Amino acid sequence: MTELDLFPLYLSLRVAGLATAVSFVTGTLVAWALARLEFPGKSLIASLVMLPLVLPPTVLGYYLLVIIGRQGLLGRMLEQSFGYSLVFTWEAAVIASSVVSIPLLVRATQAAFEGVDRSLEDAARTLGRSELSILLTVTVPLAWRGILAGTALAFARALGEFGATLMVAGNIPGQTQTMPIAIYDAVQAGNTPLANLLVGVVTAAAVAILLVFDRLGRATKW
Amino acid sequence: MIEVDIAKRLGGFRLRCQFTAGEELVALFGPSGAGKSLTLQCIAGLVKPDRGRIVIGEQVVFDAALGIDLPPQKRRVGYVFQHYALLPHLSVAENIGYGLHRLAPGERQEKVAQMVRLMRLEGLQSRRPLELSGGQQQRVAFARALTIGPALLLLDEPFSALDSAIRSKLRQELLQILSNLKITTLLVTHNLEEAYTLSGRMVVFDAGRVLQVGDRDEVLHRPACRAVARFTGAKNIFSGAVVRVAADRLEIEGEGLRVVAPRYERNVGDKVEFCIRPEHVMLLRPDRVESERVKENRLEGRIVREISHGSGATLFFKVAGLANGKDYDLQIEVPAHVYQKLDLAKRKDWAVSLKKGCVHVF
Repeated sequence: MTELDLFPLYLSLRVAGLATAVSFVTGTLVAWALARLEFPGKSLIASLVMLPLVLPPTVLGYYLLVIIGRQGLLGRMLEQSFGYSLVFTWEAAVIASSVVSIPLLVRATQAAFEGVDRSLEDAARTLGRSELSILLTVTVPLAWRGILAGTALAFARALGEFGATLMVAGNIPGQTQTMPIAIYDAVQAGNTPLANLLVGVVTAAAVAILLVFDRLGRATKW
Repeated sequence: MIEVDIAKRLGGFRLRCQFTAGEELVALFGPSGAGKSLTLQCIAGLVKPDRGRIVIGEQVVFDAALGIDLPPQKRRVGYVFQHYALLPHLSVAENIGYGLHRLAPGERQEKVAQMVRLMRLEGLQSRRPLELSGGQQQRVAFARALTIGPALLLLDEPFSALDSAIRSKLRQELLQILSNLKITTLLVTHNLEEAYTLSGRMVVFDAGRVLQVGDRDEVLHRPACRAVARFTGAKNIFSGAVVRVAADRLEIEGEGLRVVAPRYERNVGDKVEFCIRPEHVMLLRPDRVESERVKENRLEGRIVREISHGSGATLFFKVAGLANGKDYDLQIEVPAHVYQKLDLAKRKDWAVSLKKGCVHVF
């Protein structure tokens, strides 16, 4: 029996955690803007944000390579200024996971924001509260279940990210090999005990997230 | 004091309204969708008008020409929303104190406690809004709006969410509280009784326009147009033309009726509309001598239908010999004791009088 290498689990948790943090900050802001602001090009931005949800991950990975690859727009700039290349690093995996998980978070969060009765925010305005204060004391507290549910979904999606990650971060054991890739590798190499363990961990995480989701989905009672 | 003169387009809807109010309660009255709530939102700064000017107290809060548009936060307007818009995740005390965020905690608590006493909400401070009755929720909403010391109070259908049994009681309470506060108040309502009992003056809205601004009795008894007459329950509204002008009267013919009305500035041949409220149509007792005044617009006919509503009855009266295809010509409102006394359950053939002074021409 081969020794179990837990690095992929550790890396996946780190990548998914960071990706969730990135999607939470950007996704919540985007969701709020889509739910509450009117601006030109709004429907275009709404569609663009959702694009990673429908594009095949490999297509998405290709686009990411175009942007952050050695010859890519951002990639070349980074390499020339800092001598740093993003491709085939675990940071690239974070970027790939963030991009695929943002749409899920935006969708759930936008719905949660839209579910907050606007007259509550209007009431707060007439009472002299600033827009930021209203966001923090009215909108977010009333929408937090939806936001949390969206975050859980985003985390699950980031944890399972395979295609785009493989394209931009590669499959370097001990460096960029995340769990889904390690599972693929283990199955290919006939390492059944490792595949079983990793599959078990991923399944347990998925079930846990679904349980959290179910609790959050129940009707809010104040 | 408030001055409003604004125009606003919202999708296919156009709002154009102008009125002023002093230290009084003015009702914005009209059917749903007439633009009353939108007017309140413009005044509070929640919706930006396209053109015009709004002055609250001495302060210009909106002036399209001068580019002035104060945010709602700076308008000092107490707004009681239609469904109260209480924050469901905060307690009663937190809701009431929500607009006092600039005060020190101690001061805030004191003000909240004061308002809790004024609104008789003692013992409910730590409850959540959804644990309160409709009437209590309403008082919390009032308390919250009043704590900020508003220069203007806006009430959007504050009684519509309550059942009728407690409505009239709460109206009386509201009147009492407001009379002590001496604050300019605008009340949006589609309920005539509410508009009349609570306000001194009324602004009548329809389809985004102001049809009439006036003292409540003037609106009720001297409607400016057919729509106002209809909204205020004049019921008996006719179209016709002036056939004779005398020193003290007009004679009008319309829809088969010939009536005498007070002298209005009209000429022979002018097309007019005229109305008489159902409670002003007088049933003439056959055992009494008829005075000259009731003889003026004396009509004979028959009660063809009636609806009893407990405290009285609505009679539908068909004028004899009037072949106009209508199944009744007049609605008559009589209190229950009159209904009994005149034995209306049995006697259906009557003469009625549309007393000249009660006929309004517009």
